[in-house]
Amino acid sequence: MSDRPLTMPLALVLALAVIVTLFPVFWIVMTAIKPPTDWNAVPAIWVPGEPTLVNFRTLFDPEALGVYGVGGVSEAATQAVFGSLLASIVATALSVGIGLAAAIAISRYSGGGRATPLVILSGRMFPPAAIAVPFVIIFSTIGLIDTYFGLIAIYIAVTLPFSTWMLKSFVDEVPKEVEEAAMIDGMTRVKAHLTVTIPLIKGGLFATTLFIFILNWSEFLFALVLSYTTIETIPVRLAKYVTATAGTLYGVQAALAVLAMIPLVIAGFLIQNHLARGMTFGAVKR
Amino acid sequence: MSNRDKLQSEATKLDVGSISRRTFMSRMAALGVSTAVANFIVQSPLGASKALAAIAGPEERAWELAKEMAAKAEKKTLTLLIPTGSIGNMTPYVDKWQNELGIALEFIEEPDEVVHTKGMQEAVAKTGRYDVMMPTAMSYPDWIDSGVIYDLTEWTETYNPELFNPDFGVVFPASHHAQLYNGRVAGLLNDGDQITLIGRGDYIEAKAKEFEDKFGYPLTMPKTWKQYYEIASFMHDPENNFFGSLEYRSRYYVKWMFMQRLMSKGRLYFDGDMNPTFNSDEGLAALEDMLAMNAYLHPDAFSFTWSSNYNSFGRGEGFMNIVWPSGYKYSMNPKTGPATHGKIAATVMPSDTLADGTELHAGLFCWGYGYAVSKYSANPELAYAYAQWMTSPTIGADAIPYLGGYSDPYRVNHMKDPTPRLVDTYGTPYLETLYDNMVNTVPDFCLPGGFEYQDALDKEIHACMTGAKSPKEALDDAARSVDRITRRVGRDKVKASWMALAKNLAGPIKKASGADGWV
Repeated sequence: MSDRPLTMPLALVLALAVIVTLFPVFWIVMTAIKPPTDWNAVPAIWVPGEPTLVNFRTLFDPEALGVYGVGGVSEAATQAVFGSLLASIVATALSVGIGLAAAIAISRYSGGGRATPLVILSGRMFPPAAIAVPFVIIFSTIGLIDTYFGLIAIYIAVTLPFSTWMLKSFVDEVPKEVEEAAMIDGMTRVKAHLTVTIPLIKGGLFATTLFIFILNWSEFLFALVLSYTTIETIPVRLAKYVTATAGTLYGVQAALAVLAMIPLVIAGFLIQNHLARGMTFGAVKR
Repeated sequence: MSNRDKLQSEATKLDVGSISRRTFMSRMAALGVSTAVANFIVQSPLGASKALAAIAGPEERAWELAKEMAAKAEKKTLTLLIPTGSIGNMTPYVDKWQNELGIALEFIEEPDEVVHTKGMQEAVAKTGRYDVMMPTAMSYPDWIDSGVIYDLTEWTETYNPELFNPDFGVVFPASHHAQLYNGRVAGLLNDGDQITLIGRGDYIEAKAKEFEDKFGYPLTMPKTWKQYYEIASFMHDPENNFFGSLEYRSRYYVKWMFMQRLMSKGRLYFDGDMNPTFNSDEGLAALEDMLAMNAYLHPDAFSFTWSSNYNSFGRGEGFMNIVWPSGYKYSMNPKTGPATHGKIAATVMPSDTLADGTELHAGLFCWGYGYAVSKYSANPELAYAYAQWMTSPTIGADAIPYLGGYSDPYRVNHMKDPTPRLVDTYGTPYLETLYDNMVNTVPDFCLPGGFEYQDALDKEIHACMTGAKSPKEALDDAARSVDRITRRVGRDKVKASWMALAKNLAGPIKKASGADGWV
């Protein structure tokens, strides 16, 4: 592909795409630093004249908004942040780990037969709402309701089809001959995959991990139906910032949303090189 | 000596004639009893001691039961499933329950639209994590039928919460619609949710002459829907960001605007055989009224939630608003009503003229939280004791004015004999308005499948308001959806429940709708 200079029409389209993409982020960040009087002011206040961190403080000190005469926040978001981190990190690690093993088994050894990929994908063929209540009944019976163990188990079950299919497409792109050469050199199958296959799909692995992490991090339905008092996640807490005296606490919701974006932004930044490669891996058919 | 003992002692002194009525009144005031309640005690033919015992009885009986059950309870926590934003009415009593009963109150807050679902979920999950659940009245039928909550009737017969007392019971007909399912007590109401009409009293004074010159009658808060429309059109001044009214056109809320108008025209949702009746001439007229009003509404009407609606009105962006009682509180508070505090006039919902020429005043009792007791609670009687205690005439009156909760007046004494704190919060005229409106209220779809019914209607009314469907199309489609729900839930079952509701409608509504001929 040649390095042609950006033409004006393309530059305009690109600028529009950037604005459309970044506008919600801009609005959420601005709302997060607005005092309550500016949250839903008419006309809208784009950039607060007196920015404040009170919304962020409210996340960890429910009384903080009291300085603006707003009360009714009953709980800190600490448990929700902890819960999201724990559930998302563990579930993502296990989903990607199991998905990778499954992807190699399917791609290289036709594990389980030709129908296996479709069977795995069938887990995503009906809406989560349809399986939420059965999960609640099963988990209630076996004592997994309102536990992180239960939530992580569901997250793995729900994201495993994605991780398996995504990783399979990356493994498919690696020529078998490279692994066979390693085995001829004396490596076992497992060692060949660990030292040859996986490094070659590193970009795809990072991209899959980030994708699965985002799915887990933003998941709402299962966290809502499975949680009582012990577990909570950020999306569930976001829905609870409503008080009788101030209605929806848009600023506090925005602050938690900004906080929730941070791990994803950091992860995306750290692996951006791999990410770009991972996203385009397999785009050109051999 | 406790406050209650002191009150009892003073009542006994009055009964035996050792103190005068005047002295009794001043001592009651010193003990924090409102003039109205003191008057009720003084004037009661029962005698002061018995009158005091009567109004304080539900609280005391509940407390005795709570003490007994707390002592027996192995689990020393009472867990409440409550909607987010409602906790402020309950937290003031947490220390009392902990210190005097050794019971920790734990609150699980869920978004209000999720509470019903969480209850239904508990019916299958049976976790026992909830003791007390706080749904709206619409949840009771499905919750009772699914076996997730207790029928409270026997407890209410034993411990008598005075639900139907004419002096301090829950105002009829909400006492029946918002607490009973098929004639049995399913929950205890703690929130008198009804819509009333509020407006800017200051504008009424300023524009009186101009209005009368134009329309030929004095400018007041509207008494009829026709006046409501005319006054909105007169006050509408979009160039100055001031709109005729702020009523809702947004999903989830818009059905109530329709239902209210339908009731005013003397139509209910169903006839005596569960056939939908909103797809009628009255229903079409209600939708036409709403479409005509769209021209004089706030531009955010199609996206309003209750909080954005209250905020807009509080900023002074309209002349009238259709609000729950909390909307009045918002508008009168300088923090939430910077442009409206001290300037609010209120009235019962406007009337409509029926075919026979009578004016029908109908209200809508919509939403309305209450306490129910989970079937899977480890301490159900303790949970019941909490519900009765919190909703007793006395504690209820104390809890309502606290900020940070949704609870609004629901018992007769809250409106007719208000405590000073209730008067400070709502003002005597508005409490009178609430009472006058509440006695003519029609309930939500407090029937099996209630949430499905209301959603089916809401979807179609919204489609009509946005122009996606004509009024006839929208109402016919809603009727088809509602019929499907009735068939699925079971016509006989829903009909029995509908008849129980219809039996306890206010007299004028019964007559106008023809329900007096079915039950």
